[in-house]
Amino acid sequence: AGVFAANLTTFKAVASSGHDAPAPTGEKGEKHIASSCEMCVNKCGFFAHVVDGKIKKLNPNPKFFKSRAMLCARGNAGAEEPYNHERLTTPLVRVGERGEGKWKKISYEEAFKMLAEKLAEHKVKNQNRSSVLFASSEGFQEHMFHYLVQSYGSLNTVRHPTLCLSSVIQGWSSVFGVFPDADMHNAMFAIMFGSNRAEAIVTPDSIDIQKNRPKGQQIVYLDPRYTATAAKADKWYPVKPGTDLAFVLALINVIISENLHDEAFVNEYTHGFEELKAHVKQYTPEWAENECEIPASEIYWTAREFAKYAPRSIAYPGRRTSWYVNDVYFRRACAILSAICGCWDTEGGICPKSPVPIKKYDVLFPYYEQAESRIDVASYGAFANNLPDDERSSSGLPKDSCTYLSEKDGSWTRLRDAVLREDPYKVDAMVIYKQNFIEAVPNRKKTMQMIDKMEFICAIDIQMTEAAYYADLVIPESTYLERWDVVHSLSGIWPIATFRQAVVEPVFKTKSMFDIAQGVVNEMVKIPELWDDADEFEVDDFKDEIVDGILNKPIQDYIKYQLSGHPGAYEQMLKEGVFYLSDKPTYGNTRKPGYRFKTRTGKIELLNVKYVAEGLDGLPTYRAPRQPEPGKYRFILGRHAWNTHTGTQNNGFLWEIQKENTLWLNSAEAKKLNIVDGDRVKVTSSVGEQELAAYVTEKIRPDCVFYAHGFGRLSPQLSHVYNKGASQAEILEDYIEPISGNAALHETFVTITKA
Amino acid sequence: MSSHAEAKKSPLAGLITYNKDIPVMPLILLGLVLAGIGAVTALIVFINGHEEMYAVNREVPWGLLIGTYAYFVITSTGLAFIGGLGHAFGFESFNKISRRIVVLATFVLLAGFTQILMEIGHPIRMIIYMMLSPNLAAPILWMGVFYSIELVILALELVIVFKAHPTAKDHKMAGILGFLALVVGTLATSNLGFVFGSLNARPWFHGIYFSTFLVISGITAGAGLLMLVHNIVYKFNIPSELNGAMKSLSKLMSGGIGMMIFLYLWKILTSLFNSPDGAYQSVMALISGPLAPHFWIGEIGLAIIVPLALLLLAKGNTKVYGLAGLVFMVGLFFTRVNFIVAGQLPVMRAANPGARVHADASGLAVYSPSAAEWGIFLLGIGTALVLYFAAEKFMDLKTPEHD
Amino acid sequence: MSEKKLGIVLDAKKCLNCKACTVACKFENGVEVGDELYRIWVAELPVQGTYPNLSMEFEPSQCQHCENTPCATVCPTSATYRTDEGVVLIDYKRCIICKACMTACPYDARFVSEKHHAIEKCTFCYHRLAEGREPACVETCPTKVRVFGDLNDPESEAAKLKGKNATYQLKADRNTKPRLFYIK
Ligand SMILES: Nc1nc2c(c(=O)[nH]1)N[C@H]1C(S)=C(S)[C@@H](COP(=O)(O)OP(=O)(O)OC[C@H]3O[C@@H](n4cnc5c(=O)[nH]c(N)nc54)[C@H](O)[C@@H]3O)O[C@H]1N2
Ligand SMILES: Nc1nc2c(c(=O)[nH]1)N[C@H]1C(S)=C(S)[C@@H](COP(=O)(O)OP(=O)(O)OC[C@H]3O[C@@H](n4cnc5c(=O)[nH]c(N)nc54)[C@H](O)[C@@H]3O)O[C@H]1N2
Ligand code: SF4
Ligand code: SF4
Ligand code: SF4
Ligand code: SF4
Ligand code: SF4
Ligand SMILES: [Mo]
Repeated sequence: AGVFAANLTTFKAVASSGHDAPAPTGEKGEKHIASSCEMCVNKCGFFAHVVDGKIKKLNPNPKFFKSRAMLCARGNAGAEEPYNHERLTTPLVRVGERGEGKWKKISYEEAFKMLAEKLAEHKVKNQNRSSVLFASSEGFQEHMFHYLVQSYGSLNTVRHPTLCLSSVIQGWSSVFGVFPDADMHNAMFAIMFGSNRAEAIVTPDSIDIQKNRPKGQQIVYLDPRYTATAAKADKWYPVKPGTDLAFVLALINVIISENLHDEAFVNEYTHGFEELKAHVKQYTPEWAENECEIPASEIYWTAREFAKYAPRSIAYPGRRTSWYVNDVYFRRACAILSAICGCWDTEGGICPKSPVPIKKYDVLFPYYEQAESRIDVASYGAFANNLPDDERSSSGLPKDSCTYLSEKDGSWTRLRDAVLREDPYKVDAMVIYKQNFIEAVPNRKKTMQMIDKMEFICAIDIQMTEAAYYADLVIPESTYLERWDVVHSLSGIWPIATFRQAVVEPVFKTKSMFDIAQGVVNEMVKIPELWDDADEFEVDDFKDEIVDGILNKPIQDYIKYQLSGHPGAYEQMLKEGVFYLSDKPTYGNTRKPGYRFKTRTGKIELLNVKYVAEGLDGLPTYRAPRQPEPGKYRFILGRHAWNTHTGTQNNGFLWEIQKENTLWLNSAEAKKLNIVDGDRVKVTSSVGEQELAAYVTEKIRPDCVFYAHGFGRLSPQLSHVYNKGASQAEILEDYIEPISGNAALHETFVTITKA
Repeated sequence: MSSHAEAKKSPLAGLITYNKDIPVMPLILLGLVLAGIGAVTALIVFINGHEEMYAVNREVPWGLLIGTYAYFVITSTGLAFIGGLGHAFGFESFNKISRRIVVLATFVLLAGFTQILMEIGHPIRMIIYMMLSPNLAAPILWMGVFYSIELVILALELVIVFKAHPTAKDHKMAGILGFLALVVGTLATSNLGFVFGSLNARPWFHGIYFSTFLVISGITAGAGLLMLVHNIVYKFNIPSELNGAMKSLSKLMSGGIGMMIFLYLWKILTSLFNSPDGAYQSVMALISGPLAPHFWIGEIGLAIIVPLALLLLAKGNTKVYGLAGLVFMVGLFFTRVNFIVAGQLPVMRAANPGARVHADASGLAVYSPSAAEWGIFLLGIGTALVLYFAAEKFMDLKTPEHD
Repeated sequence: MSEKKLGIVLDAKKCLNCKACTVACKFENGVEVGDELYRIWVAELPVQGTYPNLSMEFEPSQCQHCENTPCATVCPTSATYRTDEGVVLIDYKRCIICKACMTACPYDARFVSEKHHAIEKCTFCYHRLAEGREPACVETCPTKVRVFGDLNDPESEAAKLKGKNATYQLKADRNTKPRLFYIK
């Protein structure tokens, strides 16, 4: 009767979803396998609960103390990635027009051969290996991508930092010589500038701001938007966009004029205090109030509290600082504030990151003659295009080239302009690894023009993102749950090393970037034209040591080698997914006598000597940002906690949390515009236009508008978000922070109209 | 009248006849068509599943089909009640139509069962586990018990009312059964009120109100339906020997509507004066919210004002009684669905972002029946039409005269 | 009767609205993607005040495992029942999907599961308890908003937390005696 009863039901017999797809292997039993997350940059540790060969769930790894026994929504949703119904499963070659979405399935072997031949073709045709551009974002396998890049020898690589954090790295390094971490776990007072830790998750800080707060800790948060972090903070200052520097300079002014700084520390470790003191005299709180719209009384209060709790005070460095054209100066000011209060390399302050030492292969790639220097360095004099015309760019910022361009990272906006101008040479092919540059780089139309310049594009991705959709050859990579990744040290105050192991076999027999590099390089070796501009012996060594010695070996050998300095580490890694030398933070290494900071003077440079030599401001000088003319709004960016950039929106478990983005519009402004919550609105900038629903709210300043990243997508094979909501890249103008080469993404003004 | 000789051959002899005079072929055909549509709908629902086919949702789990179920079964028990008045309490005029009452009550009850069977996810499992692991505290269990008993009683009553020559024992039996049908029916209906009243989350249903209201409106419906059916069967020319019965029914019905008005008044007022949560939101949904058209036109217009006016103005005209019955039965449909939906419109959690609760701009849950739900309702209507009018056509439902 | 009284003490003020708990629950309990398919939710309560003086709170919640259990009383087949520790569970094979429990629950904690052919809701991850593991939503939370445990055991974290803080329950006026206690 039971069976009968169960069957005779007015209920549908089967409910199907990717989540319920059967395991490919038919294996039985349960296991818990340690690995680390790749749903965003943080790489939290987990144990995959695998039942009958299928991932049931990812559970946080309590021993992984960077992630402090948590996995966020995205980390949990990662369990769907191998089974996502729209993921890439086999290499594809384009058969229709670009963007038409017509593909032919090919084998990995064919794909490797094709890519090798295309690389050879461009080398021969252009007599310049740098005519192929290699774009990538961070990830453990990016390292293997660079094996491919270096085997080929193009110098044109471009990475994510100049869309993200290159200006904060530059700003802090210009003071301390390094880009440090903040010890939020132990700080008593913290000022956070638009570092939306409750939503833009960075471990362990996102955890520590609530879970591990020391008693009495105060967090002051500046953001034009009332974010979840603002809701958690003890104070929220809705700073006028682009004026944080005025606030920080006024803090320094108060601290120095009231003698609240740490004189002993300043004397022992810093350079340029007297110049600073004279320089900040002009920046009184009363003056700053006019600029940043934070009351002078609050500035006094903040300065005094900051000094009171120093060195357990933090001017939080931040991460995505691709904000304004003068961002480096602002970040420098934060570093200077920390320095004068002695909040450096001590509990509760700002601390240099320390690593877990991992062995590196000492590899030497051949020197190729036909490889011209980077196009974004080589092409001069084009900067004016990328700088808005205002008092910041009319003085104190370079107009010729990026002052401190990182060799491997390049500068995306800069590079794209150079490619478009074919200046000083032609770049007409692209290989992309794990980067969705069409949505990540501002001014999407310009990016499409760049794509039109390309005769050949290869994208290595896990899903049909825009970068893949507009490519000619698409090579799927295994997801992070199906592959082994080399060891990385997650440097920080609590350094750990981690890696990845396959928690399930590739569901669709896909390959890792390691396998792809191996396959392509082996094909390249077969093509003589690829090796005629290098020294024969160097090429032989390369084939022996790199191709046969590394790429043609199992990736596990690589991992074992990396950990070979620590007996037992490999086994521990397999079991626990994490390796570390100590679970205690180490403070004070840079405070030891004789320590030289990595600056020109060897001191903490309040006044940066190199900057002065380059004609830049040695001390941060305030210049007011442009303001939108009446009727326009500044468009500011950010993210929510439920998606990563443009990579996760097609995951069903995240999509059901947020299906579209909405335009945040201040209620009073909405009233003026006669817009009510839910109305469709058009957002128009000088470069593009997007349509989406309005979210009328008190949670944003009246002078700016916002919508989240990752929607309004062009690829139909991201069916959840194809054409849903609005794209940021489409309306963003492509300004640049010229010291670091970082994109300046908060400089776009838009009009809002009812759609 | 069948003869004694024939009757001796078989107790059922003479039961199957063909009544040329009764003009219900179109209604039977209509019923067949509706039941056919309903059956196809049922099949589609079996294939695709409730979740896909019905518009009921997490906020409003009970929708049209619970309403139509209530519509049918409460009307059935109302009929049984009237039958019981005749058999058990000697309301002679009702005895004159007792066959029709019992037959109608039975088939309307069956129509109700089609609704609940298509509403419940596992009808077979229901029977098994209501016996294996019954929860005696659960009103739905008692609903099952009472309506099953009611069906058995009606079946027994059928046997008796169709006896061509009932004995004294049969009369006594009919009396007992009629009494039982009245009592069990009233229990069933008031317990149905308790099925709703027992829901902690839904203050609109709390208290004695719905148990009372359902019983009274059910009897009113029984009266209205009987007057309608007689008009149809007799081509709007009811024979004078039934005038007494019709008159009593019309009194019953206008009395019923009167009591309904009284109940409405106090329910609405108490709900309005309640805290702005729960019952208040429900009554506001009815009188000025999304259910207002259904409430004012359907519930108040068609089930109260128009039929009452007709009854008061009829002056013994049985045609007008029939019309009042028709209008009332249409209106009552809204009454039944409204009360169920209104109770569920106040959301249990505010529809804030992230709460995942679906609500309209005014914060109320949203429900509007799907095509499949309407289709299943047609199955119920069709079933009742076919069965009952086929019985009229092919059986002798005229209650034999006896002393 | 067991001496155990399982419950959750929540410090909603620590909640980031990150929704890790909601996704974790879906995988742990095989709840599919779907707007109405969820055992746990995190509501963003309306912003209080006007710009720039604002406050905002988040309210994570799930089945309250009511001691006075409205969903169980109305369940005709006893499919919904309470364990000795006070965990309210559903025996899927007995559920007839009459939905009385759904309409009875003042927290909208229940939903129809096509997968189980039954009503389902939060189980306190009952299957994990035997293995000594915490509920998935408790475990994954970055800021550890929820503390799960035996409220009758004075040594448990949950009992201690509840003891130290004033707490409130959702819809206390419904007299359901929820086993979720929110720190004031
Ligand atoms: N408009 C706008 N632009 C921005 C930002 C913004 O907020 N708004 N943010 C900026 C910041 S901070 C950053 S860091 C960058 C990030 O920019 P990107 O690095 O481009 O990040 P995503 O957009 O997430 O694209 C990542 C790509 O990697 C793919 N991927 C994911 N996992 C794997 C894998 O295992 N293997 C392979 N091969 N591919 C994988 C995804 O499918 C996706 O296509 O964007 C920057 N640009
Ligand atoms: N959930 C989630 N977490 C992530 C990521 C993700 O994609 N999703 N990405 C990771 C990566 S790669 C990065 S770089 C980090 C980024 O983390 P964050 O650096 O915190 O970056 P955003 O989310 O872009 O937040 C920028 C905030 O700055 C505010 N803002 C805009 N203009 C101004 C201004 O002039 N002054 C001030 N004070 N504030 C301003 C915006 O309103 C917004 O809230 O997040 C990481 N964590
Ligand atoms: S923060 Fe979330 S998405 Fe990023 S690595 Fe950690 S768990 Fe994964
Ligand atoms: S919250 Fe709802 S489902 Fe949970 S025990 Fe209480 S009444 Fe039942
Ligand atoms: S739907 Fe299932 S669990 Fe709910 S009351 Fe009915 S039988 Fe019980
Ligand atoms: S206790 Fe388990 S079932 Fe309940 S909400 Fe948490 S994860 Fe879901
Ligand atoms: S996981 Fe924790 S912080 Fe995140 S939404 Fe859930 S309760 Fe809040
Ligand atoms: Mo980033």
